[in-house]
Amino acid sequence: VTQRTLPRPRPGEPPVVQLPDTDRRVLESGLRLAAAPTGATGQALFRILLPCGAVCDPPARAGLAALTANLLQEGTEGLDATALNQRLDRLGSSVRVRGAHDFLSIGVTALTETLADAVAVLAEMVMRPAFDADALRRVKGEMVDELRAREDEPADRADDRIAHEIFGEHSYGRQPEGTEAGLARLGRDDVLAFHEAHFRPEGAIAVAAGEVDPDSLAGVLEDCFAGWRGAPPPVPEARAAGEPAAAGNVLRMVVPGAAQAEIRVGGRGMTRDDPDWAAGALANYLLGGSTITGRLGANLREAKGWTYGARSGFHPYRLGGSWTVETAVGAEVGDAAVAEIHGELLRLVDEPVPADELARARDALVLSLPHAFATPGRVLGRLATVEAYGLPHDHWLRFVERVRRVGGDAVREIAARHFDPAQLVTVVAGPGEGS
Amino acid sequence: MQTTQPQRLRPLRVPSSTRTLDNGLRVIVHDDRSVPLVAVHLMFHAGSRHERPGRTGLAHLLEHLMFEGTAEVPKGGFDDLLERVGASNNGSTWWDRTNYYETVPSNAVEVALWLERDRALGFHEAVDGAMLELQRGVVINERREAYENRPYGTAEERLQAMVFPEGHPYRWPTIGYEADLRRITLDDVHDFHTRAYAPGNAVLVLAGDLAADDAFRLAERYFGDLPGRAPLDSPAAPPVARPGEEATVPDRVSFPRLYRAWAVPAYGTPEWAALDVLAYLLADGESSRLNEALVRRHEMAQEVDCWLYPTELAGMLGIQATARTGVPAADLHEVVSEILHEVATRGPDPEEVEGAIRRARRDQVLSIGGVESRAEALAYAATVLGSAEALHDSLDAYLDVTPERVAESASRLLPSDGGATLVFIPEEGGP
Repeated sequence: VTQRTLPRPRPGEPPVVQLPDTDRRVLESGLRLAAAPTGATGQALFRILLPCGAVCDPPARAGLAALTANLLQEGTEGLDATALNQRLDRLGSSVRVRGAHDFLSIGVTALTETLADAVAVLAEMVMRPAFDADALRRVKGEMVDELRAREDEPADRADDRIAHEIFGEHSYGRQPEGTEAGLARLGRDDVLAFHEAHFRPEGAIAVAAGEVDPDSLAGVLEDCFAGWRGAPPPVPEARAAGEPAAAGNVLRMVVPGAAQAEIRVGGRGMTRDDPDWAAGALANYLLGGSTITGRLGANLREAKGWTYGARSGFHPYRLGGSWTVETAVGAEVGDAAVAEIHGELLRLVDEPVPADELARARDALVLSLPHAFATPGRVLGRLATVEAYGLPHDHWLRFVERVRRVGGDAVREIAARHFDPAQLVTVVAGPGEGS
Repeated sequence: MQTTQPQRLRPLRVPSSTRTLDNGLRVIVHDDRSVPLVAVHLMFHAGSRHERPGRTGLAHLLEHLMFEGTAEVPKGGFDDLLERVGASNNGSTWWDRTNYYETVPSNAVEVALWLERDRALGFHEAVDGAMLELQRGVVINERREAYENRPYGTAEERLQAMVFPEGHPYRWPTIGYEADLRRITLDDVHDFHTRAYAPGNAVLVLAGDLAADDAFRLAERYFGDLPGRAPLDSPAAPPVARPGEEATVPDRVSFPRLYRAWAVPAYGTPEWAALDVLAYLLADGESSRLNEALVRRHEMAQEVDCWLYPTELAGMLGIQATARTGVPAADLHEVVSEILHEVATRGPDPEEVEGAIRRARRDQVLSIGGVESRAEALAYAATVLGSAEALHDSLDAYLDVTPERVAESASRLLPSDGGATLVFIPEEGGP
């Protein structure tokens, strides 16, 4: 006979969280290495970060950092593109190169037994890329097509528009891949000059996780990067204001035939080293950190059934940040959904948060810390964040300690500063009439 | 530059033990103390293929309804209780299976088990018309967001309908057709739950920071007294061999895209592993055959992809290529056909196959890189291949793949005049 209800279990003390042991050292070249071995999984992850993302694109040369990054897989002085890529592919590795907003990253996912060989190829790509003129022409064309393809995707159009509304002409206000006009102006000389100036070991960071041995990895890096020297020019330090010029407005974009309205609401965010980062994380969690229990999801999805999900988040960069809400709802309820979102934002600005709701959000953030380090990939991502943004080594432990101490008043301060619809811009990309 | 000699790949192992409870529930335990987490993974051998035509989307809609609450744990309570202990949870539905999973700090594993027990017992009396209407709306919006409102978003369901014959249960999409979603009744939901969610039709995996004895004891405590029921019948599937089919679809896209797809042998067969190696050598990596030809040499495509589904009744292998500006899909089709012909007739190089096997291994290692994904891999093997240990067979199968077998599989299983050829083109007056 089935006993219908068993007593609710009472969890014991939460496990004590230990961050993965991390070996940090500075190599001969000045390159800093942080390696966190995470067990014999057979997987090895390695990434180099150079502090020369799209923020370093010269005026009228939007896309230069990304183009330079994309060309790294097009051959080196010693290996043409075919030989280079065959070597990487036969090692079973996958290389991902990306020029993002702040950083240009060159990463490899490898089997432990082929990591050293893959890193040797990576070193050639970083130090001695060929920048073949024909490849440059082709890759530029591909980047233009990718930018055009974003116009087909209603979600991308809404993302691009809100970023532009928040950051204006700052490089954070566009895709790191730049613009068609910017790409059209770029030639091989631009790429060569960018590489010569910015691809330098001082200020660069290497991170590794998975089944890696820090000593042998350091030895491989010393060998492969022998002779790499120098420092890049200072990166721009102008803060990105992130104050939308159109604050308080709802901007409509027409996507003929769209089945949904893509909605974005956004405005000023903060950087990761902001003293209010933990309070911001908690306030955001209450609103849209979880699509089921967050207030936005609880309303739009769980109470109304208008959407598959509604989330919000801070997006921190080195020189500033944004905060956005994003959801997609049935086209017929687009306006009603905007009103509900604004209402939820105001509720957090105007009304105290019930103690129990606050406690749940706090526990969710604090007690889920082990989950944030549960795979080599997550360990690498968190290590990269700490190293790249110059955060304290025990940043994640400090973060949860701070979250523990955030009270209702601090949440409302955050809400007043970041979530007030009067300071935010709203974008609706849907099938309706435009304005 | 020094390059080490190719090394024999180490066998990959995910050790586990299995016990079957009296009600038929299989319990699989994997002990790994490296992180203070336990992955609780409950997988039912029930997916969209167990639906009937006219009620497509039912398995997935049921999955949504399982989160709507019970008398004991009202709506929102499931997530609420888990968040309070730092756990995450979700569920998903696919052709052959539905899963529910919670990743919990190791002090709170019983919270997850208690919640799963509660909804297993309390679902029938709790589910009502209002819940159904609400989640029907959520799922219709999921369908719009993930498929209808995305460029090329309807490709997969079109390919399924082209590749699998009338009456085959892989013919419709897991998300369901909107007209069917609107038709589903509470009776349909009760009936499917009763048949599909019998303990004998499920596996429970507990993986992570938990001793095996404790894991089996907890499984018995929370699931041992659930009533056993007759397991679900699997509808018979007609054979998949079909003549080729072609379609052209105008869509709100700027660039034409070509898809080719074939129904192929099921996951777990030797042919499946050979085809997976073929998929890697065709489109994974910058030097892969389709990348090298379509993207680099001919500059015809922005990107290419090749995928193979690990599904139970049959696999589906698909190829896609998105055109560059000004390139017609017919040109992509011609090159794809040439390359397949080349692989089938001349065979791939041994080094090429070795590289592809290593890249497959790279992704396998990733897929068992943490307790969550290991729990899912064990549950999937037990559900679709028959036992948790069969996971090892499916991993080892790659080590026996040779260039000859890749060529033979391409030649026999991917005929140029068979399968689906689906082309998306920019619609008139489109972007």
